[in-house]
Amino acid sequence: MSAVLAACGGTAAPAQQFDLEGPPLEGGSLRVGFVGGGASDTLDGANATNLGDIARAVSMYNTLLYFDDDYVLQPMLATSVTPNDDATVWTAELRDDVTFSDGRPMTVEDVISSFERIVDPEDPKSGAASLSHLREMVKLDERTLEFRLDTSDTALDETFGQYTSIIVPTDFDVAAPVGSGPFMLESFTAAQSTVLRRNPHYWGAEGPYLDEVSLLNFNDTDALINSLLSNQVDAIAQIPPALTEVIASDQRIKILNSETGMYLPFTMRVDRAPFDDERVRQAFRLAVHREGMIEQVLSGKGTIGNDMFAAFDPAYPGELSQRTQDIAEAKRLLAEAGHPDGLEVELVTAPIQAGVVEAAQVFAEQAAEAGIIVSINRMDLTAYWTDYLNYDFSQSFWYTRNFLAQSNAAVMPGAPFNETHWADEEYIALVEQARAEVDDAARGELIAQAQEILYDRGGYIIWGFANQIDAYQGYVGGFVENRTGIPLSGFRLDRVWIGEAA
Amino acid sequence: MIAKLIVRRLAISLVILLAVSLLVFGATLLLPGDPARAILGQQATPERIAALHQQMHLDQPAGQRYLSWLGGLFTGDLGTSAASGQPVIDLLADRARASVFLMVAAALISIPAGLALGIWSALRRGRVADSAITGISLVLAALPEFVIGIALVALFATTVLSILPAVTMSPPGTQVWDFPAQLILPTAVLVLVVTPYIARMMRATMLEVLDSGYVEMARLKGVPERRVILRHALPHAIGPVAQVVAIQLAWMAGGVVVVEFLFRYPGLGQALIEAVDYRDVQVVQAVTMIVAVIYIVVNLLADVVGILANPKLRTGGDR
Repeated sequence: MSAVLAACGGTAAPAQQFDLEGPPLEGGSLRVGFVGGGASDTLDGANATNLGDIARAVSMYNTLLYFDDDYVLQPMLATSVTPNDDATVWTAELRDDVTFSDGRPMTVEDVISSFERIVDPEDPKSGAASLSHLREMVKLDERTLEFRLDTSDTALDETFGQYTSIIVPTDFDVAAPVGSGPFMLESFTAAQSTVLRRNPHYWGAEGPYLDEVSLLNFNDTDALINSLLSNQVDAIAQIPPALTEVIASDQRIKILNSETGMYLPFTMRVDRAPFDDERVRQAFRLAVHREGMIEQVLSGKGTIGNDMFAAFDPAYPGELSQRTQDIAEAKRLLAEAGHPDGLEVELVTAPIQAGVVEAAQVFAEQAAEAGIIVSINRMDLTAYWTDYLNYDFSQSFWYTRNFLAQSNAAVMPGAPFNETHWADEEYIALVEQARAEVDDAARGELIAQAQEILYDRGGYIIWGFANQIDAYQGYVGGFVENRTGIPLSGFRLDRVWIGEAA
Repeated sequence: MIAKLIVRRLAISLVILLAVSLLVFGATLLLPGDPARAILGQQATPERIAALHQQMHLDQPAGQRYLSWLGGLFTGDLGTSAASGQPVIDLLADRARASVFLMVAAALISIPAGLALGIWSALRRGRVADSAITGISLVLAALPEFVIGIALVALFATTVLSILPAVTMSPPGTQVWDFPAQLILPTAVLVLVVTPYIARMMRATMLEVLDSGYVEMARLKGVPERRVILRHALPHAIGPVAQVVAIQLAWMAGGVVVVEFLFRYPGLGQALIEAVDYRDVQVVQAVTMIVAVIYIVVNLLADVVGILANPKLRTGGDR
């Protein structure tokens, strides 16, 4: 509503010009606002869940590898991580110039204890599920260690690139957190604010430029946007796509609109009626008008999906024909599956991510044309998560991931989040082969075949990939488009600086 | 006499508080959803849920949890927040101070302003100023806090003028009153919501008193008008108005939740919203009890003022 008023009234302050050509200026502080966070906010990057947790994780800690703005793995604390012939042993070479924020150098022991901490059976951290096959870690010399696995995993390096795979000293204590990231903790109040300051021992060659970063929790988008418009914050993460134009009309504000691999799929349980019938799943996918979804749910800020995930994976089969709305064919398939008069389904939804509930409503309208009557069961977040994974027809959200990582998380036996209860033998065999295939081209071929199975008979309706939209003041430099799906350039605040009036 | 009344009211208050605590605990049990899942979100794996359940003592039966919490109350222990693992009292102390500060600031402005406007308007019955005050207060009374808040933000912070902060931001370790400019809009919303009621009630009561026989008598006896109002009329009007003021202040304890949401004000209201989201029963209980205590204390004070202002109650027999 406030934004609507902003649109009507125009802007009061004239836009000033700022020199942001660079080189970056040193100093200053940045105030970042975002919606989310609560009493369970954590300083432990290994357990990061909400936006504030992720911003703290990326700022205070480092990982062996990281995903760059194009979602390509790059070295970070490790100079290289390479698999053996069947990807059962991975060897990591560590940088020799890394120091933690207390000045101590990083050692092989720190890396080993960091991963022991993540997979600790007493208190498993977020990354534990993707490291269940980690048998042991062995120190080879002062700079080198081996990760030995029970089963092949050609995508283990992607796990090392997740922001939760943080490397911390052996004596890490979350009450007085020490990491090797560009910033270190100054003060923290859960659900309210975090102040970080420049890490004087930071090992990186470039940045950070800022002396201080404040992360500010909001519980309401209106208050968040108001704080930007009244210049109480310098950048805000994740604005609703529908408000982009309105906010952009303020000359002082810049919009960061990043294409990402983030998607908000509909999930159909393939083991229960009516979705145990492949034809029903196909009919539902044909009932969706994908451009319409992008337009109405994401205000056009997104790219179209083809019922396959991992759009940025080099092996994504872009040559498969784009599925489009085909009501006649959908009706035919439904009739063939024994629903000649259409069918009624319940769609369970909750505001788990911006756009999800809207997508449910748009889908219900579109599907009606094909004789599919959708009754929407809108829950609150807590109730939704309590029964998550048990709904016949529901929704989910995923940030950018490559194919194997996404499969391991959602569509393989033992996957922690198998929303569609997928257990396709042929698919599983292909993924297992791909996990063990270290040759990129051969693995790409296997992945493309597996993707085709998802395209033909998978339980997901992936109608599109949502852009990540952030806003910031015109005097802030260093934000670039980023594909990870994590806001404000993947929260890489080490690159951000404050410009001077030109 | 008055002491006896107050003691009786206090005893009733304790019973009410106990009932409130039971009701709220029951209500939180009825909320669908599991706190561990609420906290972990999509990251919830069975192992992590189990670990968190144990940390949160959710494996104990509900009755036992309620009784141990109630026992803690008598020793001043509000329990441990399920979501953060910290003592509730630590989580809420700063927030309670912030909320009370906001309410007291609003009360200190709106009570005198409401009383003054009401009296002034009553003395000018039927004239332009009276009609204007009556009209404006009617409109304001009809508007919810939300609308007033959004309008003020658009007017003074974001769209028309950019002279006041739109939200509250106090870095860790500071208090909200360290940044007075940020308090103006939230306080203004509460003042604008509460003052009209007090003014309207004061006006109505004052008119009634001014029309009464003893005021007429005093005037006929030649008592100066100023003295008539201050010594004869006002004391009779204060009693009923105190009740309205109390209701308004108690109601403000609810309105503050909306204001805190709107202005990102770090008070009890925000803590309550968050705790409900996370099914953090201990915190919900604590906040509810604090609000209930505010209600009861404010009403008790209103009764005392009412008794002191009412000659019949002050001197007469049992009520």
